[in-house]
Amino acid sequence: MTRPLLSIYRLDRDKLHELSNQLRQLLAVDDRAALSTLLGLGEELARRLASERWAVAMMLRADDDPQASPIFASLRRIAKRAALEHVWTSESPALEGRLRAYDVLREEKDVADALDRLLEPSRLPWFLQRPGSTGGWLDDAQRGTLAERMHSLGPALPDEVNGFAEALGGMDGDALIHDRL
Amino acid sequence: MGFFDRAKAVLGLQKAGRASGSGPAPRATRADDRKKKGGRPPLPDVAGAASATIEDVLTARAAGSFDEARAILAAIDKGQGLRTILRAAAALEAKDEEEVSKLLPLVRKDSPAWQLRLQAAAALEKGKERDDLVARAKKLGAPAWSMAWIAALSSNEAEQRAGLVDLLFEDAGLARTVAARDLAFADVKPDNDAVRRYAAFAHGRDVIRRFGPAQVVALLARVDSGPA
Repeated sequence: MTRPLLSIYRLDRDKLHELSNQLRQLLAVDDRAALSTLLGLGEELARRLASERWAVAMMLRADDDPQASPIFASLRRIAKRAALEHVWTSESPALEGRLRAYDVLREEKDVADALDRLLEPSRLPWFLQRPGSTGGWLDDAQRGTLAERMHSLGPALPDEVNGFAEALGGMDGDALIHDRL
Repeated sequence: MGFFDRAKAVLGLQKAGRASGSGPAPRATRADDRKKKGGRPPLPDVAGAASATIEDVLTARAAGSFDEARAILAAIDKGQGLRTILRAAAALEAKDEEEVSKLLPLVRKDSPAWQLRLQAAAALEKGKERDDLVARAKKLGAPAWSMAWIAALSSNEAEQRAGLVDLLFEDAGLARTVAARDLAFADVKPDNDAVRRYAAFAHGRDVIRRFGPAQVVALLARVDSGPA
């Protein structure tokens, strides 16, 4: 089994918020036809959604539920298209472990706190959270500060962490990271 | 001997007239020698009640043994939390004003204040009392997830659906757990990380439902009406 690789995306918070509101509204009024259109579902998946008691019942199923899984995949695809722009993907499966546990990073409280926020999936909307996955986000200012702080520690950091810091510092705007989008 | 009789025997709650002639003397007899202020007879002594649980209280009440339930509550009450609430509600029900006055300040301190109102509301059927408790909880700062949960338990389909959607966006793990456990959605599994959060709220609601929500609602009305 291969370990997933962390990617950095540029996050458009307004657009993600807009999509989230639209989704919430359609689920609340149970407009399954409009929801199917929003998610770009094909005939078979739209029929599957229509067969539920309510659309929200489908969304409450587990991520790996065979009925719901392709619908969640569509939802994530729509979210990516609407609000995320891919910036960088690590080549090292060890990166997440380094960010979470490398002593040079952990000894700097501000750096450790920012990394923990960036690796905290509960800060993402529910439809971007997946069991066992890593994800999180930082706003533009927090991202910039973290990149600078990591850059200052650069000589003491492993290559994969320096690559991450360089990518984080080389982008603009809010950053979202994820390993399974 | 049935379950409740065995439980009463363990707690020393059997009445003298029902105890077997060869068994030990009932321990509650000492209570008869004492009188509380105002002539109210004291609650029966209950040997072993300190190790009893709320389940024993509910069992006693279900069997109609209200004084015994109160005695157990008095023995297990630690001066805060659900046991104190139930003790005060039971005292109010028994019109024991002396005990109610003693316990009201502790009930007022119960924190967070919104939680008990919502637990009592969740134990009630749809109606004005329920709506009033929910409104009061909201005024006391009930968080969005708790308001969504209450809505998800509504008997009105549109409200229930909207509540579930709100809960999904507030706390997806809790939404799955509520859907699976409270609403019996067959294809939804409880979320392991949310089960503790679920249990902390649902336990109080379920206990109040079995204890008798009317008594707790009456107590809350007394609390919210001002100082004793």
